[in-house]
Amino acid sequence: MTKQRIYNILKKEWQVMFTEVNSLMLVTLLPVIILAQGLLYVWLIDKFGGESMISSAFFQSVLQKISEIMPAVSVLTIPEQLQVFLLSQFNFYLLLIPVMIAVSFATFSIVDEKQTRSLEALLATPVRTWELLLGKALSGAIPAIIVTWICGLLLLLGVQILGWGHLLEYFLNPAWFIILFLLTPAISILSFLLGVIGSARAKDSKSAQNLVLLIVLPVLMLIGIQISGLVWFTTILTLVLAIAIVVIDFFVLKVAVRLFSRESIIISWR
Amino acid sequence: MLIETFNLTRKFGERTAVDNLNITAEEGKILGFLGPNGAGKTTTMRMLAGLISPTSGYAVVDGIRPDKEPERVHEIIGILTESPGFYNNMSAQRNLEYFAGFYNLSDASAQIEKYLRLMGLWERRQDKVGTYSKGMKQRLAITRALIHKPKILFLDEPTSGLDPEVSQEVRGLIKNLSQEGYTVILSTHNLSEAEQLCQRIAVIRTGLVALDAPANLRQRLFRHQTMIKLEEIDERLIGAISKLDFIKNHSREENTLFIELADPSKHQPELIKSIVEAGGRIIEVTDKKHSLEDIYLSLLNEEEKI
Ligand SMILES: Nc1ncnc2c1ncn2[C@@H]1O[C@H](COP(=O)(O)OP(=O)(O)OP(=O)(O)O)[C@@H](O)[C@H]1O
Ligand SMILES: [Mg+2]
Repeated sequence: MTKQRIYNILKKEWQVMFTEVNSLMLVTLLPVIILAQGLLYVWLIDKFGGESMISSAFFQSVLQKISEIMPAVSVLTIPEQLQVFLLSQFNFYLLLIPVMIAVSFATFSIVDEKQTRSLEALLATPVRTWELLLGKALSGAIPAIIVTWICGLLLLLGVQILGWGHLLEYFLNPAWFIILFLLTPAISILSFLLGVIGSARAKDSKSAQNLVLLIVLPVLMLIGIQISGLVWFTTILTLVLAIAIVVIDFFVLKVAVRLFSRESIIISWR
Repeated sequence: MLIETFNLTRKFGERTAVDNLNITAEEGKILGFLGPNGAGKTTTMRMLAGLISPTSGYAVVDGIRPDKEPERVHEIIGILTESPGFYNNMSAQRNLEYFAGFYNLSDASAQIEKYLRLMGLWERRQDKVGTYSKGMKQRLAITRALIHKPKILFLDEPTSGLDPEVSQEVRGLIKNLSQEGYTVILSTHNLSEAEQLCQRIAVIRTGLVALDAPANLRQRLFRHQTMIKLEEIDERLIGAISKLDFIKNHSREENTLFIELADPSKHQPELIKSIVEAGGRIIEVTDKKHSLEDIYLSLLNEEEKI
């Protein structure tokens, strides 16, 4: 029954999603923009990665780190080394996709039902709170994860097509896969859960979005930290981080069920 | 008793919405909630349906405490909420399928078809709910409360916003449902609706004012009166009546006498005989009927005086 009820929610949410132009645009356009931007940076280094860039202090320190972590890259030219650096960071950058989709989708998920007053009838069915929250979160997280994976694939394709195929072996390490296939799902579900919580607590979608932006900030910081190269996520560190977030997911779902008081939703909405 | 409440109380901050309510509802019967705006009808229904918790006291619904095990109560109830909402961008049928999907139903689509047809919405089932009129939405909401064949049906003002014809149809439907064995709890402001449908009526104003069958409520408040309309009433007639010892009370309004008898069936012939003998020319003899509205208003007035 639990499975059936969650599936019921997923089916309906997707049906609504695919009939709304705005949400379709978001799910398709945002990843394209992020992917294109990433590829553009790598291409810029390839084209203009001249002496001036390499002599800057920031890139010097980055190069220093690359040679420590991936000694193998020393056979490559300096611009190539920087390209490998960017490409290895790329999956972190892709995390922006689920996070941003979550901020704009999940925030509406409960608030909308409050406003149209379908929520009271929904809460009068035998659906369990956790089923409802997980269903709502997964309905956004699953497409976001799939889209992110497609972007990862397209990235590899793009790298091939743009003639950087020889760099693949340097950045396609276990960490790259862990980020894509473990960290991305974990962070997606986390963002959507947080989004749904924000939505359940808020009075309208605007304040829901503000709330969600606040809780999604740590995720954005993580991306920032990684991209700036302050902390270098090795395979082990990545794995630990990913597992930690999976654990946090379960924890957040539990907290969410507590925070999502059916009663206050019904009585605070008149 | 299928439903029983024990000092059921709900406060919102300082304000008491429902105060020490003790009511019962029998299986297969229709219980009406009657009361002025803000009397706590919706709040009581929500507590019985396991949507909100009482601040003190409790209810038992089919052996289950709604505040302790709301999900189990949700399995056996259907509720028409005060202002029902739908997913406006989805068709009526899809909306019902979605809500049906939360119950363990083997024949959901058959049930949906049955009630959509019954509610006269079958032809419009593919239309988006957003395009529905208020009355259509209300009928759809009643359908939604029914598709999983709940044991208990809560209907919060089921005919509000419906035109007289559809209201009558909905009332017929509710009556049929109770004959099929559904237990119905119905709140309404429409007194004749309550009288037509309910075996028992709970008059509520924060606390319980009265709970009884409409006929009993009537008897409790008003003694039996015989109404006699005459061509003319003169002093001789009044004098003759005053002498009759079985008359407990009498009053006069133009050419009509209102007389309260100790035992109407026994004394009415006697009374009429005396009037005729006193020269009175009788046009009409009837029992004075009190509408439920009279009862309701006097119940609430009585409350106010206390
Ligand atoms: N969520 C809430 N927050 C604060 N007060 C509330 C809330 N819900 C109900 N009340 C108060 O409780 C009292 C009873 O309200 P309720 O909605 O149960 O009345 P009702 O009998 O259904 O009235 P109506 O006939 O107008 O529908 C009112 O005084 C109302 O203001
Ligand atoms: Mg009400």
